Amino acid sequence: MFAILTHQSINPWGNHMSSSRRDFFARSVQLGVLLGAGVPLLQACGGSDDKRSKVAKSIADGLPPEKGPLRIINYADYVNLEVIADFESKYGVKVEITTIDTDTEATTKLASGAIKADVHHSMASTSIGNLIAGGLVQPLNKSYLTNFPNVISTFNDPWYDPGATYSVPYTFFGTGIGYRTDRIDPALVEAQGWDTIWNATDFKGQVSVLDDEREAFTMAMLRKGVTDINTTDQKIIDQALADVSELIDLVNVKVNIEAYKDIPEGTTSVAQTWSADLIAGAAGYLPEGVTDEVLGFWHPPAGSYVVTNDSMGVLSDAQSPVLAHLYLNFLLDNEVAEKNFSWVGYLPAIAKLDADYVIGAGYVPEHLRNCVPTNDEIAQALYLKPLGATGDAQYETAWAKFTAGG
Amino acid sequence: MTAALPSRRGGSSRIWAAFAVPGIGWLVAFFVVSVYAVMAVAFGDVDPFLKTPIPAWNPLEWDVTTMSNVLGEVFNGYLRPVFVRTFWFVGLALLGCILVGYPVAYFAARKAGRSKGLLLAALVLPFWISYLMRMLAWTNLLQPDGFVNQVLGWFSLPDNRNWLDGDWYTVVIGLMYGYVPFFILPLYSTLERIDGRLIEAGRDLGASSMQTFIRVTLPLSVPGLMAASVITILPMFGDYYTNTYLTSGSPRTEMVGNQIENYLRNTGQPQTGASLVLILMAMLFVLMVYYMVTTIRQQRAAER
Repeated sequence: MFAILTHQSINPWGNHMSSSRRDFFARSVQLGVLLGAGVPLLQACGGSDDKRSKVAKSIADGLPPEKGPLRIINYADYVNLEVIADFESKYGVKVEITTIDTDTEATTKLASGAIKADVHHSMASTSIGNLIAGGLVQPLNKSYLTNFPNVISTFNDPWYDPGATYSVPYTFFGTGIGYRTDRIDPALVEAQGWDTIWNATDFKGQVSVLDDEREAFTMAMLRKGVTDINTTDQKIIDQALADVSELIDLVNVKVNIEAYKDIPEGTTSVAQTWSADLIAGAAGYLPEGVTDEVLGFWHPPAGSYVVTNDSMGVLSDAQSPVLAHLYLNFLLDNEVAEKNFSWVGYLPAIAKLDADYVIGAGYVPEHLRNCVPTNDEIAQALYLKPLGATGDAQYETAWAKFTAGG
Repeated sequence: MTAALPSRRGGSSRIWAAFAVPGIGWLVAFFVVSVYAVMAVAFGDVDPFLKTPIPAWNPLEWDVTTMSNVLGEVFNGYLRPVFVRTFWFVGLALLGCILVGYPVAYFAARKAGRSKGLLLAALVLPFWISYLMRMLAWTNLLQPDGFVNQVLGWFSLPDNRNWLDGDWYTVVIGLMYGYVPFFILPLYSTLERIDGRLIEAGRDLGASSMQTFIRVTLPLSVPGLMAASVITILPMFGDYYTNTYLTSGSPRTEMVGNQIENYLRNTGQPQTGASLVLILMAMLFVLMVYYMVTTIRQQRAAER
């Protein structure tokens, strides 16, 4: 709540651009306070014996939309409520949004039946395969998705969902370094690459890495030239753990996903962060008297640039599956997508909204052009893929060791 | 008439016993069942795709592998520093609570006179604001251009410190601030009930006010001190949001609660998180038993 209030009060775009998906960090804390750590456990207990299998059939063509309500699960503030209102009036239905804090929480609650929904608004790429295998999402009937051709062509056949059978892309972003250009020379960042984070000893306590084990360890791997970022070789993971742990003493590293506000506000000088955070930061988090010129972003060259996206899908036990399809289609409309982006700050995977367009329209400052991954960069991107229970556990355990103090 | 008495007494005692039913029901539903659910998760399995826990409700099916691994890490592995750190933080915060809270409780209970009501209201005031909001307020106060540094600047002290960059003392201060009202109130009620005649007797027998305090007031307030300590340290041990907010996730200040939160919310290893919950509970149980034994001994001593 607090972050949003602050945000809106300094938001140059009026009531728009409230990119606080990253606020889920704060919200997870709030939820924890309210419910206590035991509650998620209990919630997770119900219905897990209910072995579901992959849902093979999509809905038939040409069905009339249901009367609703359309139930959506999504991160807080990760969709423009004006867009929701437009959808409601267009189809004469109510939309109910249940917010989740983490991707894992969404999966857990959907699997246990703690949340019933029609649309999963923001599935992580690493989870989609599991959601399909677990039978939680249904195959889409493309005849309802007339706006699908608006999507950037690379996402027509994504690695996580061949043929985009179960999902349509929502937003996408790349991982790089966000920094203050008034404190660190951009040329130096360009020359040092990922080493910038390890060399930021002048900025102790003002350096952060993403609170995500795969992202943080991948950074360490890429820095050492390892591009097989989905490795389960324990030696490589241990080396990445050792490298990231060095940051504790070297730069007194923080672990969070708040660079979108911490860099503009100046409490962080250098951070491993997502490209969209700089766009959001420039639009909504700069203190008075500070221009967006202070924000810089660097990312590795195409071929070693990690690009991530969130996707929308229809849940297999949706009560309003037709309406859910229509909603997905609505969000893929060029104008709706732009209106949504203008408030959310995370680029939709819509071809029309390329770098030239969003810069020309004033959503992104010219010097942050590299925050918009190009088609080439998307095509050659490295993707963080799911590693199975054992592989994921290797990273999770290494991460617990790092956050425990190295 | 005489024959009716026992039955009447029996009837009324049943009525009184019935008053305990809601409490017992509550305890069973929200403590016993909850703890059993945590155990079922800790000793259960995980869905390979959805990573949701598959609790083992039947104790005969319990798998203790995760628990023994976690115990190994707690005593000899990467979790050891986390536990040691947590004990240090809580211990220091408790010490701070005693140093700050005891004089306040003492003053409010014995010296405040007519302003006692006002003081009590002031002590209860923090409860009106959510703990979370109070911690968020601290992040504003402690940031580099925040109020704390401004005040330091007024006194020509170094005012460029970033208090939020992952220092242990920030977390300890945060814990102390967050929980000190919980400390003061039980202590206040004990101190207020101390028979003033005992203190007067001490003074009459020639003890100085300091000696009276040390020999009379302090020993008599030990039960309150113990209760206040228990009430404060139990939630402190499981706390994770104070740390999260005040250090922006620095690995230097990671507490047990943070590890539990991470394992339960962000990983496919809920059994590890649940095992940590049980281990922490077991440690707190030892403290609780110590508290109860001491209290019972004191009561017996008082009855003699």
